[in-house]
Amino acid sequence: MSEIKKIIKGCLAGNRRDQELLYRRHAAKLYAVCLQYSGNDEEARDILQEGFIKIFENLEHYKYEGSFEGWMRRITVNTALEKFRSRHNLYRVDDIDTIQEPDAEPDNQDYAGLEANDLLEIIRELPTKYRMVFNLYAIEGYSHNEISKMVNITEGTSKSNLSRARVILQRRVGSYTGIKKKVANE
Amino acid sequence: MNEKEANIDLLFRNGLKDFEVLPPPGVCNNILSAVKIKSRPYIFLKVAAAITVVLTLSFLTYRWSREVSFEPSSSVIAFNVPVSPPVLYNPIDNPQYLLKGKINPVKNSSDVLTETDNQAPVQMEIETTFSPGQILNIKETKGLYLDRNETTNDLILLSLNTSAINSAKVKYPDLQYFPDNTITKPVKRWSIEAMASPTYYSNFNSGSDALSKQLTSSEQSLVSYSGGVAFSYKISKRFSIQSGLYYSSLGQKIDGINSFSGFQQYQISKGAPNFEVLTASGTVYTNNPDVFLSANGTNRVLTAYTNDVFDPKKASLQPVNNSLDQNFSYLELPVILKYKILDKTIGINLIGGLSYNLLVSNSVYTTVDGTKYSIGKTEGLNPLTLSSSLGMGMEYNLSGKLSLNLEPTFRYYLNPFNVTTGSFIHPYSFGIFSGVSYKF
Repeated sequence: MSEIKKIIKGCLAGNRRDQELLYRRHAAKLYAVCLQYSGNDEEARDILQEGFIKIFENLEHYKYEGSFEGWMRRITVNTALEKFRSRHNLYRVDDIDTIQEPDAEPDNQDYAGLEANDLLEIIRELPTKYRMVFNLYAIEGYSHNEISKMVNITEGTSKSNLSRARVILQRRVGSYTGIKKKVANE
Repeated sequence: MNEKEANIDLLFRNGLKDFEVLPPPGVCNNILSAVKIKSRPYIFLKVAAAITVVLTLSFLTYRWSREVSFEPSSSVIAFNVPVSPPVLYNPIDNPQYLLKGKINPVKNSSDVLTETDNQAPVQMEIETTFSPGQILNIKETKGLYLDRNETTNDLILLSLNTSAINSAKVKYPDLQYFPDNTITKPVKRWSIEAMASPTYYSNFNSGSDALSKQLTSSEQSLVSYSGGVAFSYKISKRFSIQSGLYYSSLGQKIDGINSFSGFQQYQISKGAPNFEVLTASGTVYTNNPDVFLSANGTNRVLTAYTNDVFDPKKASLQPVNNSLDQNFSYLELPVILKYKILDKTIGINLIGGLSYNLLVSNSVYTTVDGTKYSIGKTEGLNPLTLSSSLGMGMEYNLSGKLSLNLEPTFRYYLNPFNVTTGSFIHPYSFGIFSGVSYKF
């Protein structure tokens, strides 16, 4: 029996040590996903907590087919989406509409020197709706049709949000790279 | 444009692939405590199942032993056929059937203890007037009967067996079989006992990491105690099974943790614990906002109020103590097997078994002049642990029903209380249980 199977069986039996072991092995990766989908650390922590509780509660449904890490990631992303959907009505329309779009395409396409931390910071600066669609499309690989059902928007809105997200990201990546280069030159 | 879009997607996809960020401390405990509540019914089911199995086994064993005790043997059935009374060999003609020595005089009431190979002893109290030729008691293949010696005219107790019956020469047509007024009383198999013990509690550290060694080196056992009530059932002459309910309180002192009072006016957190203290049994979270904690030369106290941020002496906090007391209370459900090595006035038993230990409370406090000041709780403890026990019991029979017991017992916890440091720290305890037991 593989080690992960042993851990899962231990978790199912209520073994505290195995539950802790499972958490310690995967929490860091899943927390990075949570940060990617949330606007602040507190929200990310809530998603991680709720996501892990769901993982433990649904372990019996895991069929040992495909990647276990992928299975956990899907649960975490779904938890983030649930949180987004529950709060969606509370967002003011102008939260999104008043975002100023960049005037021009960024010239600088040299992304060298950008680290994962920088990318995370950039992606978290996106407005929530843009961030959700960009994450689901560009990182998770869902289609616009799937995203429209997951986020309760039309396919057109999904495409539009993605397009706006990309433009904002390109501009911010450009400015980040510029700042980094300037700091390096100094 | 499409290429640029693909580039930005790829940049984030690849850049964030396998990216890891350590989650804040405390999240793990929040998750596991929430999961713990969910998994409790499952644990209780296991405990309930174990109790059911023990009780069922005890009941079945009891029924089985009762049936065996009262099941008439084949020879008895043969003797009770009234239509054709057995033809008996005259024992007087064959001296091998004569018992050694005479039973003279034979009393009108006497106790005869019989024991077969596969059953517990059954005391047969015979209250009847014997007449010559009457069978007193019949074993599986043998019986005893009284007759008068023709030469001495004394009553003698004679035995007979089936082979003798088959080769009978002398008939006793008016032989009386199995007196109807024979009363049998089973031996007392159940007993209840109350036991208590002071306990020495410590732990084995199977890990090799520096943190766990550092933690265990500054922890000392406090005087702990254990006590409860147990029922035992005698399965056979030597074996008995015991179960019951015990309450155990285990504790340890954690040295090198300074505590101060008067911190409430400075603390700004709302609800969250201000201090976390790493111990071998788990992480202690403070719940008393008035307490400030610091460690002597170690980093086992985690807090936002570090030395560079807050100095308790400058803030004129009142020093309270330089150690913490950690206490855990468990309800124990033991299943113990006892083997009687010596069965005299002083009996000696070998004792071994398993116990389910259900955590019922845990507290952390500091003691000043005999008064306990609450500090907080140890989080992340296993709600249910399994322990094995091994011991030797001495039993002094005060009477047929009452006895004094003394049981030095070593107990080893099979699963650790917690896995804080990655090492497996297995607690153990040693106690000398003493108490009384009552047989019924």
